[in-house]
Amino acid sequence: MAYIPNEILQAMVDHAKDDLPNEACGMILIGRSDRQMTVHRVTNTAASPYRYEMSPLEMMKLEQKRDSENLDLFAIYHSHVASAAYPSPTDVRMAFFPPGETDNEPMFPDTYYVLVSLENNKPDVRAFHIKKHGEISEESIESEN
Amino acid sequence: MTVNVTSVIEKLVGGQRSFESVGDSVKSLIENINEAYPGFSDQILEEGGELRRFVNIYLNDEDIRYLDGLNTELTDDDTVSILPALAGGE
Repeated sequence: MAYIPNEILQAMVDHAKDDLPNEACGMILIGRSDRQMTVHRVTNTAASPYRYEMSPLEMMKLEQKRDSENLDLFAIYHSHVASAAYPSPTDVRMAFFPPGETDNEPMFPDTYYVLVSLENNKPDVRAFHIKKHGEISEESIESEN
Repeated sequence: MTVNVTSVIEKLVGGQRSFESVGDSVKSLIENINEAYPGFSDQILEEGGELRRFVNIYLNDEDIRYLDGLNTELTDDDTVSILPALAGGE
């Protein structure tokens, strides 16, 4: 189960809508002690409706922020503008380094991959873990404040 | 010069996010890092020696693909960041 407050869910949906027609992407950081979450939009350098590539420099700066401010990477999110909120084969392949080497440990084994789908009128937000061998495990989202 | 990496690549360089190394080009820097941490270049470069598609190297804030690629010249005052892509899509 992934606990994600409503305002954080809404912030990801807002980002997904703001970046239409392209996919949006970003990260949720969480305080190690206070468990406060913050949403960080990251530039999709692919600028495409079909794929995303997070700006590497922005990612590095967020990682430095995590180190200096005692934060963890809670979730990596991106939007699917015309398909379901479920990790695509590309999403799974790219969860490994080098890409597709699913016998390795995934890059972020403890981090949720959150998908925001704008396929239907009502946005759908779902959370997953991507595990070794490319196994996808859905985690239900609990959002009561 | 200072070399920064992210958490995914730090495992390849002894668990450090930032370290000092030398090289007069990106290519020679990678060779020097590989001497200290064997296997490093296999993860960064294709078999033909080109930079892997989903590895990004920045000289200060510039992507070396827009400079002179692996032949980009370096000085001791530079900061080089070696960063894997985080990507996907439908």
